[in-house]
Amino acid sequence: MTTPFEAAKAGGSVDTAVGFPKSREDMYEFYGFIRKQTRDSASKEGGELEFPAGYMFKDVPKWDAEGMDDPVQILLAELDRHNIRQAIVTPYDGPAQRALNEFPDRFFAGVNVDPNEGMEALRKIDKAAEEYDLKCVHAFPAGLYPQVAINDKKFYPIYMKCVELDVPFCSTAGVPGPRIPYAPQDVAHIDEVCWFFPELKFVTRHGCEPWADLAVKLLLKWPNLYYSTTAFAPKYYPREIIDFANTRGADKVIWSGYFPAGLTYDRIFSELPDVPFRDDVWPKFLRENAQRVFKLPST
Amino acid sequence: MPTDIGVIDLMIGFPQADRRHNYDFMRANLRDRESLEEFEFPAQYMFKDVPKVEATSDRVRALLDLMDKYGIERAMIGVASRGDESRSDDSRRALREHPDRFFGCIDVDPNRGMEAVRDMVHAVEELGVKAASAFPCGLNPQVPINDKKFFPIYAKCVELDIPINVTAGVPGPRVPFAPQYVGLIDEVCWFFPELKFVTRHGCEPWADLAVKLLLKWPNLYYSTSAFAPRYYPKDVVHFANTRGADKVMYAGYFPMGLSLERIFGEMPDVPFRDHVWPKFLRENAIRVFKLDSA
Repeated sequence: MTTPFEAAKAGGSVDTAVGFPKSREDMYEFYGFIRKQTRDSASKEGGELEFPAGYMFKDVPKWDAEGMDDPVQILLAELDRHNIRQAIVTPYDGPAQRALNEFPDRFFAGVNVDPNEGMEALRKIDKAAEEYDLKCVHAFPAGLYPQVAINDKKFYPIYMKCVELDVPFCSTAGVPGPRIPYAPQDVAHIDEVCWFFPELKFVTRHGCEPWADLAVKLLLKWPNLYYSTTAFAPKYYPREIIDFANTRGADKVIWSGYFPAGLTYDRIFSELPDVPFRDDVWPKFLRENAQRVFKLPST
Repeated sequence: MPTDIGVIDLMIGFPQADRRHNYDFMRANLRDRESLEEFEFPAQYMFKDVPKVEATSDRVRALLDLMDKYGIERAMIGVASRGDESRSDDSRRALREHPDRFFGCIDVDPNRGMEAVRDMVHAVEELGVKAASAFPCGLNPQVPINDKKFFPIYAKCVELDIPINVTAGVPGPRVPFAPQYVGLIDEVCWFFPELKFVTRHGCEPWADLAVKLLLKWPNLYYSTSAFAPRYYPKDVVHFANTRGADKVMYAGYFPMGLSLERIFGEMPDVPFRDHVWPKFLRENAIRVFKLDSA
């Protein structure tokens, strides 16, 4: 007998935050932007943490540079195995451009921004919107250098641009894994942004912990605020978020993975069936909410 | 002072006889009895000769006649936001009927968020305005010059390539001055190096700081609105005569607080050097507001 989870999965899932596999060496280099502002010896260059949040991720996917297959094919194989039909990737990052061009029904563009760049950041968004069917803008407030709080003035022109282009803005929120200050990602900052930009679609990433209760309050309060489950293994989804999805928030909670940064799809899809979502939540969670909020084609 | 220069006035209004309700927007932030009950103009305690204006059937024509009398070739006039258009019927007609004499600036309230941004785009596209303007202390609630609510406005000015005119320094009306502290301009010029920022209303008592910033930031400018020429800050006159000839621009204050008769009566006594006059009265405005492209 098919469970509601299996039925929803069979209809295809959407992952709104996907990266292309990189070799261990390239990943280490990539995380230089975080090490730059860590202070503890484990996180610093040469420290024991290969991945700055590695102390809490036990099975980070890894590839050795030598003999590594084409990252696009590795990713497609992973997506296919779990029937993930659509994935939002970051153009200008490794092979993303090729993937976007060759598989336009599978890959969609979401551009990363650094508000420290001021008007240049706005121009990058405009450029991405001209070159791609842009589906979102995203940022990592605690990982920026210098850090920029979610409600900081430097973000306001970015939010304006997202409203003008009618694309969602995705932001990590809650205590970040890397050992850097969390203050810029305090979930409470989101309140002011949703107030000042009521048209802005704001999608949280990375869990909003330990303020999942506040996140639920805000999700209920602000019609255009959404939650996505990036970087969380299903067994750790916050209890409050599951309850919210099962009651008033079925349209507000969006599945996303964390591949290849910290989680395998095998693990995610082995744990997902145990999440106590109600039957009607599953298709919304795995697919429909993402397609509506990010304006992706229906599958 | 040469007399053959077609002056550009960066702040002028239409001669309106009944101005009792022009400042209603400020009442929510006023607390003192004189301002609330006695003053017709909230800064009248320091303006001794607020121009008395006769009612006229054609205010646009009346202003043009005055401009002709004092050698003002072109003038910047304010345009109210959508939803408030009736406040600037004269401006809209003047821009339509006399584009060679008037250019517009859209008045912005950053409290309105994206609506203010859209008003700016609309004003540039539909009315051809050349600038935006804001009065940080007069807003309700007040919005400091470096406040986050202003940042989308500044970004849009850069995108539209128009300057913004902002009152700076202690305001005349008896409301808190903090939102217009001149020091706040520094951060804005740093974050938006392309933004052309034009101060209004004198920057006092921080004219010395204003000069430091005018020297530091290439796209920061100073306009003399609301100041009778005899009160132009010495620091600013000195700056115009030395390194800042391209940075200081004439703006008047008729009919809000000063008559053109007084302004141009006192003007020749300002000790500008010869080469400063044409820049101050005309050329800087043409360059900064891109009037040649009209």
